[in-house]
Amino acid sequence: MDVRSNRREQGGSSAITANRLLDGRTVWLGAHGWSEQIAEARVIANTDIEAAIEDARARAAADSVMAIYGVQLLPDTATPEPLTMRERIRAFGPSVHPAFAISPQEGQRHE
Amino acid sequence: MPLLESGVLAADPWRPAAEDEPIGAGDVIVPLARLDEGLARSDPGRLGVLLPPEAEPSALRAALPGLSLIAVTFPIFRDGRAFTQARTLREHLGFTGEIRATGKPLPDQYEFLRRCGVTTVEVPEGTDPAPWAREHARFDVAYQPSILNETREGFALRRIPG
Amino acid sequence: MSDTATRPLPVGHYTYDQVDHDFLRARVEQFRDQVARRISGELSEDEFKPLRLMNGLYHQLHAYMLRVAVPYGTMDARQVRMLAHIARTYDRDYGHFTTRQNIQFNWIRLEDTPEILEQLASVEMHAIQTSGNCIRNVTSDEFAGAAADELVDPRVHAEILRQWSTLHPEFTFLPRKFKIAISGSPHDRVAARFHDIGVVAKPGPDGAVRFEVFVGGGMGRTPIVGVRIHDHLPEEDLLAYLEAILRVYNAYGRRDNIYKARIKILVQALGLDAFREKVEAEFAAMDRARYRLTPETVAAIRARFGTPDLIAPADAPAKLAADRAANPHFDRWARTNTHPHRAPGFICVAVSVKPAGGIPGDATSHQIDALADIAERFSFDELRVTHMQNIVFGHVRQDELLALWHALGEAGLATPNLGLIGDIIACPGLDYCALANARSIPIAQKISARFADPTLQEQIGRIHVNISGCINACGHHHAGHIGILGVDKKGEEFFQITLGGSAEDDAAIGQIIGPALPEDATVDAVARLIETYLTLRQEGERFLDTYRRLGQAPFKDSVYATA
Repeated sequence: MDVRSNRREQGGSSAITANRLLDGRTVWLGAHGWSEQIAEARVIANTDIEAAIEDARARAAADSVMAIYGVQLLPDTATPEPLTMRERIRAFGPSVHPAFAISPQEGQRHE
Repeated sequence: MPLLESGVLAADPWRPAAEDEPIGAGDVIVPLARLDEGLARSDPGRLGVLLPPEAEPSALRAALPGLSLIAVTFPIFRDGRAFTQARTLREHLGFTGEIRATGKPLPDQYEFLRRCGVTTVEVPEGTDPAPWAREHARFDVAYQPSILNETREGFALRRIPG
Repeated sequence: MSDTATRPLPVGHYTYDQVDHDFLRARVEQFRDQVARRISGELSEDEFKPLRLMNGLYHQLHAYMLRVAVPYGTMDARQVRMLAHIARTYDRDYGHFTTRQNIQFNWIRLEDTPEILEQLASVEMHAIQTSGNCIRNVTSDEFAGAAADELVDPRVHAEILRQWSTLHPEFTFLPRKFKIAISGSPHDRVAARFHDIGVVAKPGPDGAVRFEVFVGGGMGRTPIVGVRIHDHLPEEDLLAYLEAILRVYNAYGRRDNIYKARIKILVQALGLDAFREKVEAEFAAMDRARYRLTPETVAAIRARFGTPDLIAPADAPAKLAADRAANPHFDRWARTNTHPHRAPGFICVAVSVKPAGGIPGDATSHQIDALADIAERFSFDELRVTHMQNIVFGHVRQDELLALWHALGEAGLATPNLGLIGDIIACPGLDYCALANARSIPIAQKISARFADPTLQEQIGRIHVNISGCINACGHHHAGHIGILGVDKKGEEFFQITLGGSAEDDAAIGQIIGPALPEDATVDAVARLIETYLTLRQEGERFLDTYRRLGQAPFKDSVYATA
């Protein structure tokens, strides 16, 4: 599984991400299952994240998702925002196609 | 373990040599390191040898007259050295006995195996032969010559796989 | 299908017959079956991955990505329109032309792929072996069959290699991917020395085709210029000899370390002489009759290529000269974006898919349709994708060039920057790619915007700027006169600059000039490199020539003395 440039840290919090099997889209684990919006992601303290990832992986086939891993979040943001550029691009869309982007504030797609 | 031949399950008359025991009687497959021991055996049973992926097929040249089976192996299905080993055994060494694929090949590789000279595939207990049969019948044409010397199809390099 | 008997054969590429169509349909069914097994859970992702890759289906940052093969880069208008249809129907209305003459779609759904492949198959296209550790799409010269300097049209042999490598039983699970390029011109436009195997066709003393064969070139983590393993391979031995090379590679190439698995590492480890000895031994032992490429086979493949009827009015060159004299914008574009044709009254056109500030290689479905229309109207229904991520119309009448230029302008495709600083090669980078460390596209956009002025671009002259978002070097940064490599420093994007690379006859690997810089500083650094060149160049020198004459020092100082 590719978690390149992800840089999970000792402290702080993370969100759990995956890709949907059927369409490959990036999804985030929220209170009500997997969502396309990182705004809906559960923020999990890094002390608990490994166990949560383990749980999510155990349900991967049933949930039709793959490549599950944890993503370090920036501290103190209104809604969850990843630390690294790679994960920001996964969360908010390619930086070179504003039409496909999802803004961090609204968690909504601009079309 | 069950065997596949021409897309259907077949009985396996062979057994592997047990470790730390004499090779014994009957049709036995020995590891490469015990080849000389196998060839020296006086039993009328047939002898086979397991050729590991890193071994040179030419190492078997002198032993070929005494061998009825050579097993090649796929430690993982992506490790394709056995394809070249099988082709070398057929094309350069003229081996006409059974070439058996062991390890972890996929049904999706079945025609590749056959066209490189593999005759049987060892599959795990409980294997459904249907995907293998399906892949065996999948294509009516191949685009390059193979050691099977298949009939030409139409023009250029095309062949009808057997 | 059945209409191929009555319709004239498409120009520039092989035409399928019923057997070829049936094969492709069987292949689509096979993949439909594999996708169904994946969705049902019968296949795990680990098991499915090599199967989907063998059909060009990757999983990237945002979705699945489908890479469609364009054999030797050539397509007819019907095929091009199908690509536009796929972009519109199954993707987000655009496609991306790649440096291997293919096209990629970035937003594909797994569920849709069997249907997409079925539609592609209806126009004789596929995604077979556009990924995976197998022989990839065979690339060729974008001016094949048209260029004035060409000695042998390489596309017939490219097609033979395509067919031979398709589902090759022995070489579909190699240690690593395997790329072959073939050219028939003494001017290397295929980067033959940067391929696993590069083949250059030339006429032998008896007039029969001979091949010069290079092996073990490549970019990536360990850039190596390929070495000549054969100087005059007879045509009949082409397949046998390539089989021998691939057998040696399959048997001895490293499988323990993905970064040392390419054939270039094996050639380096053994040394060329020892490697050649193994190949020659295999070649000598083979049943050569079995692999013999007969003149009949070559003729049979050639017979399924349409050829253009190259007749232009006698006054076509005069008409072009008058058109150019009357319109300086057209004249500028004609100066930068055309190439001499072998036939009188004809010219080759290179269309830049690199607008100033745009994304290199991206085209909308509207533009792709426009390209198909233009091919139909002006170039015998045929176009080519280039390894520079541009488009070529091979056979254009000189008296029709002005009308073609107007049609390109309407589609936003008349940028006059071919071979200039705006004609940047960039990989998709971190905006799409799961392997990337940094974004490549934004830096390309900033450089091309900075140098948007076409007069300035012409003053700077021929230069290759190549940008890769990671060490895998899909943007061929090692071969750039100016190369830019994205690196990750604690989650932030930095860029390393190399100078002096070339993929052409003077093939060389660029050298790093100093520490990596942030994005905007890198764009400034490129501007300073160009200023330095403009100050120091002598009459007639390209950037690369000045760099080679003076060495790194003045260029390095210009970047780091003030940085």
